[in-house]
Amino acid sequence: MSIAWLLERMQQWPERNAIVWHDQAYTYGTLVEQVQAWVEELDRHDVGPGLVVTLEGDYSPNAVSLLLALIARATIVVPLTRSVEAHRDEFIAIAEVQVVISFDDEDGWHLERRALQVSNPLTRNLIDSGHPGLVLFSSGSTGKSKAALHNFTPLLAKFQLPRHSRTTLTFLLLDHIGGINTLFYTLANGGTVVAVPSRDPEVVCRTIAAHQVQTLPTSPTFLNLLLISEAYERHDLSSLDLITYGTEVMPASTLERLHAIFPKVQLLQTYGLSELGILRSKSRDSGSLWVKVGGEGFETKIVDNVLWIRAQSAMLGYLNAPSPFDAEGWMNTQDVVEVDGDYLRILGRHTEIINVGGQKVYPAEVESVLLQMPNVRDVAVLGEANPITGQIVTARFNLFEPEELGAFKRRVRAFCKDRLASFKVPVKITLTEDEQHSARFKKMRKG
Amino acid sequence: MSSGPDFDTLQTLVIATLFEVVEQSNKPVPESVEGSTSLVGKQAVLDSLALVTLIVELEQRLEEEYDVMLTLADDRAMSQKHSPFRTVASLTHYIAELISEEMGRD
Repeated sequence: MSIAWLLERMQQWPERNAIVWHDQAYTYGTLVEQVQAWVEELDRHDVGPGLVVTLEGDYSPNAVSLLLALIARATIVVPLTRSVEAHRDEFIAIAEVQVVISFDDEDGWHLERRALQVSNPLTRNLIDSGHPGLVLFSSGSTGKSKAALHNFTPLLAKFQLPRHSRTTLTFLLLDHIGGINTLFYTLANGGTVVAVPSRDPEVVCRTIAAHQVQTLPTSPTFLNLLLISEAYERHDLSSLDLITYGTEVMPASTLERLHAIFPKVQLLQTYGLSELGILRSKSRDSGSLWVKVGGEGFETKIVDNVLWIRAQSAMLGYLNAPSPFDAEGWMNTQDVVEVDGDYLRILGRHTEIINVGGQKVYPAEVESVLLQMPNVRDVAVLGEANPITGQIVTARFNLFEPEELGAFKRRVRAFCKDRLASFKVPVKITLTEDEQHSARFKKMRKG
Repeated sequence: MSSGPDFDTLQTLVIATLFEVVEQSNKPVPESVEGSTSLVGKQAVLDSLALVTLIVELEQRLEEEYDVMLTLADDRAMSQKHSPFRTVASLTHYIAELISEEMGRD
């Protein structure tokens, strides 16, 4: 059983808190009991090895213990959350789900069977090997969601090495590689995972203070919202000693402000992909965007300024797209990087680079400048086709207070004059009332 | 059928927008601009980025003021024997042509 080692370890500290959900703590003892109860419940419903099972739920103790039981029973788990409700049926069809187990707000559950044979050869091979599986859907912030199929056994292997026991807030849920990583890191080391009912900065800060959270793994988009809200002024965040950020490029201006406001908190950039798992990383220092990535089980190389990775914990492949791996197992991350010795600086997705008359513009760099303007709450920079310069830079803004568009445009261009090369200055400027980030707090640069 | 803005009104809009774009792009502001003023080329008041900015600005203003959605720079514009982006007057003519097509469609 691929997680026998984890369950044994969890039994070593039955009194410690494993999960805080809806402000209530649940111990490792309770969680282990619930896992046993779920294993029996699954047997009663004839849910066993090789079945594809959707777990629809939050980070509740019941959902987490079901996840562990599903791994123990060698099923293929497809975690889904409410944030992807619009794509639910599509995702269930792609993954060829045979059993749906959904949780309600009170942590009650419902099981439904779907009469269906698994036909995808990737899934069939994994089932034949007898290993548990995991299907994660990419957020599709720049295109169609892809379904990554993992063998759960190698994904969990890296957590066997003991590390620090920490109280960590879960910003990402079980349907995201980051949420999965936080869960297993924490459980394998006797730490506590603290779930939040919403990703509102006020709620997050209140929760950090109430449960003495030490680690906040999050995204630059959320950190921007946190800085704007000033919610950190209204709560005691002295327990916090580590903020990690990843999933998108950090604007230099955001990191600088964050470091000034939280001088004692270590700021660490993380790097991971749903296709590969999360790499170990080390920022040069808290104020630096330079980061070393790698660690046991990961190899990296740079080809034409683009980062390639080979990972032992790599997925088996996509269920709905061609394999992204070359013959030697390397994957092109599409992330363009600068290199300084062992350190990298991530500039942006190759596909998001805007080409203005042959000159490259990285959206994150432009956004970092624009975010420093007074009255700007958020901004998304993207390219638009143009027959004269190939592409033009466009910027879509959210403002705090309404402003007349013409006057605002003049203000933007005046602000950019000494701060950006002229080809990087947004040509098209629009205002929006809509939020420009996904449910996972990742910036959406959609046209 | 409503009739669009007349040529002079449009040319005034083009010139006003042109002045603003030049002012905002660190370029020397010309003393006067008229129909025959070159937009591109040797004696031009704009570089390629400023030209693109002018076009996008005009698209946005025409939409705001006359409620017409035009694409001024596209394959059609680029494949004209004489580019509509040569002078202030040629650009104004091109805009007027596109507007009358748009309005005729209603």
